[in-house]
Amino acid sequence: MEATKRFVLVGAGGIGTWLAAGVVRLLEWKFPGSGLIIVDGDNYEPKNKERQDFSKIGNKAAVKALELTPHFPKTTIIPIAKWVVSDDFSGVIDEDSPKITATQLIRENDIVLAVVDNFAARKILFDAASKLNNIDVFTGGNDDALFGSVYHYQKRNGIEVTSHPAEFHPEYHNPPDKNPGELSCQQRSEIEGGTQLLATNMAVAAFILGRIQKTIVDEQSPEETEIFFDLGLGKAEPYNRLNSSIQIEVTV
Amino acid sequence: MEQNSSASQPNRANGMAGIRYGVYNQPSNVAGKTVKEVRDQFSKLWGIPNDAIAYCGKDKLDENAVIQPGQNIEFHRRAGEKG
Repeated sequence: MEATKRFVLVGAGGIGTWLAAGVVRLLEWKFPGSGLIIVDGDNYEPKNKERQDFSKIGNKAAVKALELTPHFPKTTIIPIAKWVVSDDFSGVIDEDSPKITATQLIRENDIVLAVVDNFAARKILFDAASKLNNIDVFTGGNDDALFGSVYHYQKRNGIEVTSHPAEFHPEYHNPPDKNPGELSCQQRSEIEGGTQLLATNMAVAAFILGRIQKTIVDEQSPEETEIFFDLGLGKAEPYNRLNSSIQIEVTV
Repeated sequence: MEQNSSASQPNRANGMAGIRYGVYNQPSNVAGKTVKEVRDQFSKLWGIPNDAIAYCGKDKLDENAVIQPGQNIEFHRRAGEKG
């Protein structure tokens, strides 16, 4: 097991704040000396309070890093108060919303937690990760109140251990939404958050933490690489997206 | 890659296949049926949208593709978006 890790958490919102709380503890005790980079260009506002864990108003990445740092001295927590954009970004340049490209942000051996609120930004991160040789990207999201899903993309030595999510999800080919980082402040303010619940946000974070435990801490390669869940139905269904065994026979 | 069948097959189920959509997973006696027939069978029960692509592994299936015994057919469920 590597002595230290570099986790890059993109999106410190309804899922990201709870995931940060778990990941920082994992790093502090399992991989002391590691780094947790928290990336978000957005600001925490009182309207976020119902689902997001912040103690004060301000940039989400900066506030969360400030909150966690005193409690976890063996982990270096670095905020990046920027929006993640694609390499070919040529949209709105706004002094109040600084940008960083995905390829500037992530590098070999990173463990990326893509918990943003749109497919467009996730696609940017997956596409940048797919150009690296050794990388893990965990993503998750929720919809329809109590439904959620998580996905783990992994490359080792240039080989895709798990499939790029676009193989199974057309929404990663042509995202139906827009990356807030590539919009103006006015356009961002007009985006609706949809129907989200605290329980589902926390469940997505928990499923991602579970997968991190299995693959990064325990160094296993379980086949449950994508998981759909519905808290209302009390059901979770794992899908095997390992490239080595896409088709498995039905067992009756 | 897209798999298809040039001619629609009769509605004769003759073996088990796995049908999946999101959190739902049901081995079912649907081999011999087309993707469209199976979608119609499960859509009301599971809420499968009419435009949900059917996959067998990474292969996209045409609506008229005939399901074979032992196959796992997955109707695309959009991933969770918000966070």
